[in-house]
Amino acid sequence: MGSRIREDVSHVFECFCEVVKPQGDIQEAWVIQKFPDSFKEDEKIKSVPKFAYPCEFDNTVIQHYSFVLTSGDSKWTFGFCRHDPKSSTALVILSYLPWHETFYRLLNTISELIHNNAQADMLSPFLANLYTSKVPDPGTELSVPTIPSADKKFTFSAPKRFELPSIPNNRNLSEYYNAVNCDNMIRVFASMLYERRIVFTSRKLNRLSACVQAANAIIYPMNWQHIFIPVLPIHLVDYLFAPMPYLIGVPHALVDRVKKADVGDVVILDADNNTIESPFDDLASLPQEVVKQLKSQLKTQVMGDGVSRAFLRALVSLIGGYRDALIVNQGEKITFDDEAFVETRPTTMQPFLRKMLELQIFQQFIDERLTMLNAGLGFSDEFEHEAWNYCDKNSSKIKGQYKEWTSAMKKEGSAILKSMKTRANPAVKNAVNTVKERGKDVGKAYKGIRSKLKDFSDVKGRPRSQLSQPASTSYRGKEARRSVTSDTGCSQAPYSALTPTSPDHGEGSALSFAPLDMDLMGDMQDVFNKCSLLDTPAQTPNKMMKPVRSFDNFTATNGSLLGSNLFSGDRAAGGSDDSVFLLESQSEPHARPAPMSSHKVQVKSSSSETDLIRLDSTPSDEFDPLENGHSLTNPLYPYYNNDEPSDIHRDLDLLREYGLDFPHSNTITQSPQNNWTKFD
Amino acid sequence: MAREYDHLFKLLIIGDSGVGKSSLLLRFSDNTFTGNYITTIGVDFKIRTVDIDGERVKLQIWDTAGQERFRTITSTYYRGTHGVIVVYDVSSGDTFANVKRWLHEIDQNCEVVNRILVGNKNDSLDRKVVLTEDAQRFADQMAIQLFETSAKENINVEEMFMAITRQVLRTKKERRERQAIQNSETVNLRKPNKSKKRFC
Repeated sequence: MGSRIREDVSHVFECFCEVVKPQGDIQEAWVIQKFPDSFKEDEKIKSVPKFAYPCEFDNTVIQHYSFVLTSGDSKWTFGFCRHDPKSSTALVILSYLPWHETFYRLLNTISELIHNNAQADMLSPFLANLYTSKVPDPGTELSVPTIPSADKKFTFSAPKRFELPSIPNNRNLSEYYNAVNCDNMIRVFASMLYERRIVFTSRKLNRLSACVQAANAIIYPMNWQHIFIPVLPIHLVDYLFAPMPYLIGVPHALVDRVKKADVGDVVILDADNNTIESPFDDLASLPQEVVKQLKSQLKTQVMGDGVSRAFLRALVSLIGGYRDALIVNQGEKITFDDEAFVETRPTTMQPFLRKMLELQIFQQFIDERLTMLNAGLGFSDEFEHEAWNYCDKNSSKIKGQYKEWTSAMKKEGSAILKSMKTRANPAVKNAVNTVKERGKDVGKAYKGIRSKLKDFSDVKGRPRSQLSQPASTSYRGKEARRSVTSDTGCSQAPYSALTPTSPDHGEGSALSFAPLDMDLMGDMQDVFNKCSLLDTPAQTPNKMMKPVRSFDNFTATNGSLLGSNLFSGDRAAGGSDDSVFLLESQSEPHARPAPMSSHKVQVKSSSSETDLIRLDSTPSDEFDPLENGHSLTNPLYPYYNNDEPSDIHRDLDLLREYGLDFPHSNTITQSPQNNWTKFD
Repeated sequence: MAREYDHLFKLLIIGDSGVGKSSLLLRFSDNTFTGNYITTIGVDFKIRTVDIDGERVKLQIWDTAGQERFRTITSTYYRGTHGVIVVYDVSSGDTFANVKRWLHEIDQNCEVVNRILVGNKNDSLDRKVVLTEDAQRFADQMAIQLFETSAKENINVEEMFMAITRQVLRTKKERRERQAIQNSETVNLRKPNKSKKRFC
């Protein structure tokens, strides 16, 4: 798997060390105390002083930095350091968790305890307490008393899932952005996409480690697979001679220790002077449309996750097409077709994509996605989300494949509920695991999966009617519920699955809807097939030109729609949620529409498609249903306007607006309830 | 002042963890203490200078941690190296399977001409599961040399390292000769011999 962050983490931290700096006759730093005493990984303990005092460095202000140790299995251990000019010791926390902000704060707390004599004996109980505390789940808080008598506590939250590093909250990215301008960030990004040997230098250890860490974070959803040493200590300078790809932070004091000629072709970023030396022109060989888009996004969106998202979108446009290269054969494992990956993309990109196939970071990314797919794990993350937004809806082969695949998975769906731990890496991709915090994270793409899974696991094989039980699992808007309860006669179960994004209303209710029981993507494929038969292509904007949609933008827009109560933006959102790889439930006898009514299904799903488009709040030339009269009545949800029996015609009007000239309107008007589940 | 060596070659040693890569390196390297960092920074290297037909060849042999996680090791990994030592454990069929996959991959995507196949832990017939004939057939098919070694018993280790070193040296000389011929044919087109490290 691609991630080098451990997933089986049982302690918030592995070890705390206090390290005495080299002084006088003693040339080497040494560990004066550690906690817990039982920590016996000698190799690591031996390394700590060397990484805590990697070389002579400027120690005039309190600084935090992190180093990374790599175990034999290639997984990382983070060492968080705090240097205080007033102290002759450095404080170090070793942890498998990459939670920089939390551990830097923790080190401050520890420092207070150590340096305040009255509190010195509080340190041990505090650390013991923290050590034995359960690692908090993503997005949840942990509070550990520091000075119980004064009711002081150390409180922190585990990072949420799928959260991209943001400025200013993420210290590493903020530091990187501050030190290195966008053009140079892009050049480093390009060189990482060539798996070069890359050196960062700085006089400041905090800047050095932050920049290296941030540069790696920016290639998400990929992970640097090679040598990764954010701060290189003096005794390891010879490792700069390594012939393999690396990303190494070299303190400036060590730069002159190695002859550049011996090191060979390396890319060097001087983070103090914001300059790059490189024997390669990697940037020029990136597809220029991607670079252009990246540059313009970095100009406009910086704060928050703007920078992260800009790079993520660049990667989406480069590798998001991997979905089109998945080969799904009944009864066989899903595989990845290199040729298809290249050839399904615009010719301008193909040379670079061919190169991309030779990257370890890309291969590991593909391996990871295949592993999850073949294990029956649905997944989503910000990457898949952006990829879906970006995806060319007209041509994406994945929809058809998805359909085949889901039916294949239905047969071998036993592995579906494998849960994957994510707490170690909040940004990790697996979405299927027990999704507890329904409220906050609803709106993320894994909702659809959740409801599918629930359907699959809880109610497998049971009659549909039993699904509608009072449950705390409802995360639908109150209004939505009300409207459906008021009219159960034509409750449209398939629509109810288009999960809303308004979690705030999601308290328990007497009525909970059935989870998604339609194959949205498959249905969409039907529509597209239909459309192509009719030679009236869906209005799909050119993906090269189209601004990639932002979910954030969407939610804002959606909120206002809700506020104006004009249409159920909640449900409209669902279309995008199903963009992820959903696992279709086995237990729906009515999931496949009867032939006679198949057109109905097509209409529904094409309308879902319009939802996807409506998600876009970024300015674009695309048709926007909200901008003309049709928008005020949601054509998708006729039950929303029960007093208007002619809704179905509006569906058709909207379809026409989209260029979907549907000749079979007569069949559509057949009792729409036929295939739809009624709630009892 | 005479240089410390005539040639510097960087080699990679690849194979699953547990096949004895570190032991092989330890056996081979001279006694200069360089420490063992594979478990702290995930990479390690050993140095030794050997004499081949009167020429001093300095070898750096590099190893990285956790290679078994790669279904394929892509060509960027080999870029900049002169040769690859591919190690499996004769008592483990899985390690041989990995090695076969990786070698096929190298064959398809890289021009690393210098490769050598090594079946290590060849010191207990009872435990041997990868038969010499099978390994040899595969080696012949890939047109590479096979050595069965035991780092533990120090069997065939020296021979193996010398073989790959000779191979790398020969390749370098052949390239040089080819280049010399080209240079003599074309007038004044000499460029620094930069391509010598470019195998991928």
